[in-house]
Amino acid sequence: MRILAVCGMGLGSSLVLKMNIEKVMDQEGIKGTVDVKDLSSIQGEKADFIFASEEIGKKIDHPAEVISVKNMTDRNEIKEKVLTAAAKLSK
Amino acid sequence: MILDLLTEGRIAIKIKAANWQEVVQTAGQLLLVDNLITEKYIEAMQKSIIENGPYVVIGKGIALLHARPEDGVKKLGMSLVTLAEPVNFGNKNNDPVKIAFAFGAVDDKQHVKAISELSTVLMADNAVNKIAVIEKPASILNYMEKIIASENYQK
Repeated sequence: MRILAVCGMGLGSSLVLKMNIEKVMDQEGIKGTVDVKDLSSIQGEKADFIFASEEIGKKIDHPAEVISVKNMTDRNEIKEKVLTAAAKLSK
Repeated sequence: MILDLLTEGRIAIKIKAANWQEVVQTAGQLLLVDNLITEKYIEAMQKSIIENGPYVVIGKGIALLHARPEDGVKKLGMSLVTLAEPVNFGNKNNDPVKIAFAFGAVDDKQHVKAISELSTVLMADNAVNKIAVIEKPASILNYMEKIIASENYQK
């Protein structure tokens, strides 16, 4: 599973998101990569899913499905969304 | 790593702030007095919230404030402001903000380890509410250190 974690600058919130997605993937034994990107550099990037805050998610124009995260520090929300994404991919 | 960047002197406890701009100003000031950033960087952090929206409120009650390296970062560093009264940033999911971290990154790499450790701390149960009521900077650092150490131990 290839995920992009996206925010306005690719320095702060997307990095927190990446770390927390990786923690969940690690715990759940899901294989994949999470790369941090800023809004302006996602065009042409290959990905299965893009994770971002709701506000940033609305601005994303990319073929991959955008999954918006409300609380980037909520382990349960991230776990649920990563597991849903992994299940979609395995179909 | 994060404990090298966020020192006791860069933590301000139970600050009274009337609005989010004052929160950014206070957090930025802590970096400015240590000569880690220029004045311009504080403005850039505020401008980023106006332009990109309040997604800097990354989780319930937590803001992660920053701008870009070229906006006036001299040296990598981090500050923390805890608030006497929670402040709204305009984020419908995660307002009001109780604690705000600010950092200045010099590139897209050097701060990664510190943010990783910060993520670990913020994912811990009820971390925000615990940090928000701690009375001394040293006690906050001690609390963070314990969470980071226990995470490293589990690996």
